[in-house]
Amino acid sequence: MLPAGTLFTLSEAISLALAYFTVGLTVTTLHISEGTSPQVMLASIFLVNAVTPTLAFAAVVASGGTTAAGVLSGWLVSTRFGLVAAAIAPRMWASRGKRAAAAHFAFDTNVAIAQREPDDHNAQRVYVAAAIWLCIPWWVGGVLGVIIGERLGDPQSLGLDAVFPAVLLAIIWPQMQDRTRIPIAGLAAAAALLLVEIAPGGVPVVVGACGALFAARRRPENDPVA
Amino acid sequence: MALGVLAQRVIGATLIDSDRIGVRSRRVLDALPLAVIAAVIGLATLSSDGELEIDARVGGVAVAALCASRRLPMFVTVLAAATATTVIRF
Repeated sequence: MLPAGTLFTLSEAISLALAYFTVGLTVTTLHISEGTSPQVMLASIFLVNAVTPTLAFAAVVASGGTTAAGVLSGWLVSTRFGLVAAAIAPRMWASRGKRAAAAHFAFDTNVAIAQREPDDHNAQRVYVAAAIWLCIPWWVGGVLGVIIGERLGDPQSLGLDAVFPAVLLAIIWPQMQDRTRIPIAGLAAAAALLLVEIAPGGVPVVVGACGALFAARRRPENDPVA
Repeated sequence: MALGVLAQRVIGATLIDSDRIGVRSRRVLDALPLAVIAAVIGLATLSSDGELEIDARVGGVAVAALCASRRLPMFVTVLAAATATTVIRF
């Protein structure tokens, strides 16, 4: 299951598997306990096939946003997948059909791991292998979460309502090592919170997203690395 | 939502030549998911149904931050956050 001769190690594979299993389990459990139907959840696990958009949707709806706001948040978050897919695309298979099919399994983790490979062929093999190592636990965790979620009562009683933001925070934490990111995140959160009582449904999140514009400031240390 | 997410991934993989996105646009696009997630974290921690609300969740999220800063595994972070929140509520 591990391509020979690449930089992808078993220990990395196992870390991926454990992390995605955990998030799969937590995300779906929370989603279900907030009222999503099991069928929709199951479909989403496989069709959306992505952690952060699913989580963003759940978190937005759970704190009172509309479904539309949830979907929009999910889409805004998933722009990242489009970008990483674009980043690695030049190194992937020549056939557009194959790339399109593979794109459904584009996560920032497996793309980053695949990008390390100096050789394109290995990059493709690692992309696929890493995708398998994280998708299957995600699916398994997700399905388990649907089953368990049905049996759980009130999310608040088990502290689960804090788990949404907790998982999201843990996911973005590594990005905060780059100090320029901290003001963006802070601005986005502050903007959203300032508006939450005066603006309906999804507006706070979308305005918070505009915090990303902050990144357009001309700063010497941002250039020229993309 | 699934269609939109898939569409973005497919378009990214097949149509976009990432060298043609300007540096500034690239920076904003890169920052977009982070901004959205940060906004969602803020709302999910400190608001409820359209109102600001400070409760035990803050403790849970703070514990999560602590776990994340120590690079603890996700499983531990989740457990710690849920436990902390429940304990604070007690």
